[in-house]
Amino acid sequence: MSSAISVRHLTKDFRIGIRGLKLRAVDDVSLEIPRGQVFGLLGPNGCGKSTTLKIVLGLVSATAGEISILGEPSATSSARRRTGFLPEAPYFHKFLSGRELVRYCAQLSGVADADVDAAVEDALGLAAMTEAADRTIGTYSKGMLQRIGFAQAVVHDPELVILDEPTAGVDPVGSAAIGRMIHAMREKGKTVVLCSHLLGQVEQVCDRVAIMDRGKLVLEGAVDDVLARRDRHVMTVEAMTPAARAAAEAALAAHGAKVASVTHPRRSLEDLFRELVTGSRDA
Amino acid sequence: MRRFAPWLLVCVLALVAGSLAEASWRRVRPSIPEIGRKDLEPTLGQGVLLGVLGGLRTVVADMAWIRSYVYWERRDRPGCEAFMRTSCALDPRARYFWENAALRVGLDMAHWEIRKRGGYNKVPAETQERLFRQYARKGLDVIEEGLQRAKGRTALLVAGGFLAEGKLKDLPLAANYYRQAADAEDAPWYAARFCADFDWNAGKKDEAYRWYRNYWLTRMRPRMDGSPDDLVRLREMEKELNLGLLERIPRQGWER
Amino acid sequence: MKASLRRMLWISRITFLEAVRQRFFAFLLVLSAAMVLSSVSFRVFDFGHGELKFIADFGFGGMFFFGSVLAVVMTAQLFFSEIDNRTALTLLAKPLSRAEFLLGKFCGAWAVLGVFVVVLAALQGTVLWAREQELLSLADPAAKLAPAFNLEGLLQLVLLQWLRLGVVISIVLAISALARTFLFAVVVGALAVVAGQLQWIAQDAFLRPTDSQLYAAFLWVSTRVIPNLQQFNLADALVLGSTGVDDGAILVVVLSGLAYLLAYLTLGSLIFRRREI
Repeated sequence: MSSAISVRHLTKDFRIGIRGLKLRAVDDVSLEIPRGQVFGLLGPNGCGKSTTLKIVLGLVSATAGEISILGEPSATSSARRRTGFLPEAPYFHKFLSGRELVRYCAQLSGVADADVDAAVEDALGLAAMTEAADRTIGTYSKGMLQRIGFAQAVVHDPELVILDEPTAGVDPVGSAAIGRMIHAMREKGKTVVLCSHLLGQVEQVCDRVAIMDRGKLVLEGAVDDVLARRDRHVMTVEAMTPAARAAAEAALAAHGAKVASVTHPRRSLEDLFRELVTGSRDA
Repeated sequence: MRRFAPWLLVCVLALVAGSLAEASWRRVRPSIPEIGRKDLEPTLGQGVLLGVLGGLRTVVADMAWIRSYVYWERRDRPGCEAFMRTSCALDPRARYFWENAALRVGLDMAHWEIRKRGGYNKVPAETQERLFRQYARKGLDVIEEGLQRAKGRTALLVAGGFLAEGKLKDLPLAANYYRQAADAEDAPWYAARFCADFDWNAGKKDEAYRWYRNYWLTRMRPRMDGSPDDLVRLREMEKELNLGLLERIPRQGWER
Repeated sequence: MKASLRRMLWISRITFLEAVRQRFFAFLLVLSAAMVLSSVSFRVFDFGHGELKFIADFGFGGMFFFGSVLAVVMTAQLFFSEIDNRTALTLLAKPLSRAEFLLGKFCGAWAVLGVFVVVLAALQGTVLWAREQELLSLADPAAKLAPAFNLEGLLQLVLLQWLRLGVVISIVLAISALARTFLFAVVVGALAVVAGQLQWIAQDAFLRPTDSQLYAAFLWVSTRVIPNLQQFNLADALVLGSTGVDDGAILVVVLSGLAYLLAYLTLGSLIFRRREI
């Protein structure tokens, strides 16, 4: 089975000014995103991740490289029919109601007339927007906007959902709601690609992550693999032997304490992110 | 090749559109009053462009005419002429603009010129006369242009006759204008009489009588009242020409 | 094909709803309507025209002028609101082609201008008809004056004006597809309309023989690239029947307008296809 997204040697140059100076936004990026997983694409502002997503969606043309979605060239409309997209800070026509917007997007996404009503209700239900669906979008809060944006992205039951900063500016409650929606998509067997700055959330919901910096892919792998530091063991007690451990456990038990587990140390995703990308940014 | 096909399609469509537009323009051109572009140059940028672009031509022409009054009151010939020309150019089918522009040029502007040169007491009579003729000639040029482009020629012909007789003192020319006016369907009642009288006074008595007689017989007599005043004048002419009884218009039953 | 039409229809529907809700549209519609209704009062400023001709010119002039302003500004605004607000990102990430998006925008804007033209023409027709009846009742019955107002001509004029505005919309969309800013699109769009209104000068020059091959080639190209928008201004001839129009001429004008419209929409789609959103 082909990958959900396959990117090979993707390069994108923007021409700036009259003299056409080149600015390389994406530099020879290759990436395979397997199906049925939640994939996090991380990076600081201007690292090229949004450009990569836009190229994947056919909104921007690549200077070089090949991209396919679900085994089809990314620019084809059949590939986009199987893809849902929520852009960063989405803006929708304020005069439409939530239900009208989702219906509009269902029609554009090729949902059959007979199935539109059910698809709209399903999407609204998934985004927990059924109650507010008849209000005009102009009256929505930021969190509701993101949720209705999520609903329009999934109304045609896509196999791949791309979410660009879905929790930006959303309060923790709204953010948790979006996290639940992502989980729900994964449970349905969908592939979710997520761009986010909320590293804690990414760590929670993603199966795999990739980190980009200055247009290059600097790390890619399963969350557990990239976060675990297997070259070292962090021990709470130094020079621990089984006897020492037993003694330590006994000693601790004598004080009413109990060692539940001894694990390899794990650093936070945020630490990893900073280590990989900060050098230049914080200077 | 496939890459260029859409661009080729655009070229073909533009070609088709251009050819059709050329054909359609040939057919609708006569239905759209022509704009005298050169005449607009002095006043372009004063709202005139709006009229040139299509709609509001009548309105902008009217506004230009109102503006010409400002210059007329100041006795500013170039300004007045520019705006009168603008009105004529924007709406060349409106007889009113041509007629009144010609009369302003032919009647008023000579007086402005005399006043500018020091007044009637200072400017010699022969110079005044020359100026009246000079501006009357210019006024008649406006009439001639208007005759080519305006709808409703009769009033323009009458104005031409008026200028030719009153200011240019060219009676045959005046008679010619009134003759054309008299021949028009909407001829005013006095046109034939003026034509005949001016020819008569210019010395073409025989010609004047014959034309007037024919005109009276064909166009005036069939009218309800039979135009008795014109017959009275014709009888005076017959008398002065010493015409024999058989050469005269037969006596009408209602004639005293 | 059916799915494509359905997508275009939805884009045009939302575009139409967005446009009719704009204050700019309402403002220009009310202003133009006021101009039509007040034309009877303004006839005191008229010199030497038939009264009906003045009323018609005043009202249709408003339709022409404000219609052009609306076609340029509203179309550019509808296009750039999608780009600047990034709703285009959401829409174009769906199985919607750039050409469908642009055609949908065109149809929506054209429908709005259809409403504009029909409303104003209905008002203008009513004003002309009412004033004509008034004048006829005042005239000497013996004069047996024939009514000048021609309803069929008015309908033809509505079609022509709508088509003219359609050509303007297609030009503005092609410019917007290329332009980076709303202001640029509006300025260049307005200049294109002025050029279109004055194209007849080149057309007339082209129809006259010339010795210079280069000049003839320049005229040939310019008369193909720039549409002749003056050929749609037949209010006098059609509505008041003052000069009449050659039989079949309307059909050729319509065909030429449609060809220009298609040419500019195709050009716009090609440019927009390469645009990075």
